[in-house]
Amino acid sequence: MPQDSRIPPETSQFVSAASLRVRLDWFNKLRWIAAGAVVAAILVVGVVGGYPLPVVPMSVATVVLLLLNVFYVWRNRRIPPENVGTELRLVKLQMAGDLLVLTKLVNLTGGVENPLLFIYVLHVVIASLLFKGRDIFAVAWFAILLFTGTVALEFFEVVPHHHLLSASDMTHELPYILTTLASFWLVLLASAWMGATIMDHNRSIKDELVARQQELIKADQAKTDFFRFVTHEVKSPVSTAQSAVETALELGGSSMDPSSVDLLSRAVGRLEQATDMVKDLADLTRGGILTRDALRPVDVREMVGLAVEHQRELAERREQTIDFALPETPVVMTTSRSMVEKIAANLVSNAVRYNRKGGTVTVVLEDREDRVVLIVRDEGIGIDPADQERIFDEFYRAPAAQKLTNLGTGLGLPIVRRFVTNLRGTIQVTSGPDEGAEFRVVLPRQTPPLGDEPGADGSTTS
Amino acid sequence: MAEAKILVIDDDIDLVEIIRLTLENVGYAVIDAQSGERGLEKARGEGPDLILLDVMMGSVDEGFQVAYQLRGDAATKEIPILMLTAVGDQTGFDFDPAKDQEFLPVDEFLEKPISPRKLVDMVRKHLPTTI
Repeated sequence: MPQDSRIPPETSQFVSAASLRVRLDWFNKLRWIAAGAVVAAILVVGVVGGYPLPVVPMSVATVVLLLLNVFYVWRNRRIPPENVGTELRLVKLQMAGDLLVLTKLVNLTGGVENPLLFIYVLHVVIASLLFKGRDIFAVAWFAILLFTGTVALEFFEVVPHHHLLSASDMTHELPYILTTLASFWLVLLASAWMGATIMDHNRSIKDELVARQQELIKADQAKTDFFRFVTHEVKSPVSTAQSAVETALELGGSSMDPSSVDLLSRAVGRLEQATDMVKDLADLTRGGILTRDALRPVDVREMVGLAVEHQRELAERREQTIDFALPETPVVMTTSRSMVEKIAANLVSNAVRYNRKGGTVTVVLEDREDRVVLIVRDEGIGIDPADQERIFDEFYRAPAAQKLTNLGTGLGLPIVRRFVTNLRGTIQVTSGPDEGAEFRVVLPRQTPPLGDEPGADGSTTS
Repeated sequence: MAEAKILVIDDDIDLVEIIRLTLENVGYAVIDAQSGERGLEKARGEGPDLILLDVMMGSVDEGFQVAYQLRGDAATKEIPILMLTAVGDQTGFDFDPAKDQEFLPVDEFLEKPISPRKLVDMVRKHLPTTI
């Protein structure tokens, strides 16, 4: 997990200005489609079908809608989203305008006779995606007011009634009107209620998830800080102790009895182990180096080649073969050299250490368009499926690995995973007991510097 | 022949003692300083033939600052400097050794824990040949 992935406070409760803007853009597209549909209806029904549509007033309403949309699109392009409140007010205004135009069009195309009145429901659904409880009902009531008002005005002949397609006159059939209005009210209010309930529930779940994630990030940071502190405090005593014992052996070893020399040599071995642990912890806890300066174009073949070369001697002693063919052309990435180096070194060294005697270690470097794939495969003891997630936990060593050697810090794979995550890559392991193991690391060709990650403002496109 | 004089600048008195024993054992004279400031004084006053400098004393980069000052002073700029880095530090800098050695004003980095044999080898390698 990147160490300073941030969740913007406004993601919670529930939208940011930027994410609202994404939705506004989406509604602008819907509005083009709606206007296009009306134009198509005028052409197909009125002109081709020959039904007596009020073409001129309908066209005027459509043009009004189109002009409004041109203005909305222009505004979204020109003015960056800043404030959730402003954006929300704007959505409400736009929605009111849409409902007015819709009501005029319904009035022109049969009023209560027009089944397209269900389009009002769409607006309530959209409102429940954007607003909280009371505002959703406000939209529903506004739609009810507009539609019921239109029907009433037509009924009392205050505004003219346009028949839908046929000349049949349902404007004055009171039972029909009342049934239609009752279902209209029911559907709109029920949609508003359901929308509000479901979305409130979703938002509370989302808030909870965000809060949990923040806690996890904090806990992870605290752990890293603790490791860093311990590493810092332990490294000097450990390395001075190792130097002291080595010096004592060097200067006075010849006059000591052999069993003392043996004991001190063992002490050096154990101190070396502690030093390895300190080195690994230092790797694990270093952060904040993914600045623009630390990311340079490098040819990854060098780093992987180096990792392989460093293990050749041990591999030969164990009668193993390392099968590694360098790609012929440079594999250039903009990334952290030291992190990629460490990832390759740890994976290849693990593969040799846990391989069977006489086995083969296969290292493959694949150059894909926007990413680079490193595969390291061995034929050794393998990893039990139950251990496959835990091997990336700090200090965890699988029982089979412990049995094989008591050296090893339990930090190699955690470092690999942390670095891969820092570089915005992924790592996968495929293995089974005694089936060998395959580690597959996919890294992006360009690692963005910290702070440039997409979606940092919490925006979503859905 | 005068024996070569090595100045050890490090605030870890145990490590200074270890280095002293190792180097005196092969015939060098060792003087020491436990802070960057004292180290600069002794470098100027006592004219050592080589300086072993700890990278991290009071602050993270005190050693680097001392190295820059030594290189900036006509009296000390020719003295070879071997910089002792703490374990795990060197990997943390994202070094490009080929490039970075040029602008870091030291002759060699030695990562702790440094074995007595390697220390003696490195001191021999960097001591001016006239001694």
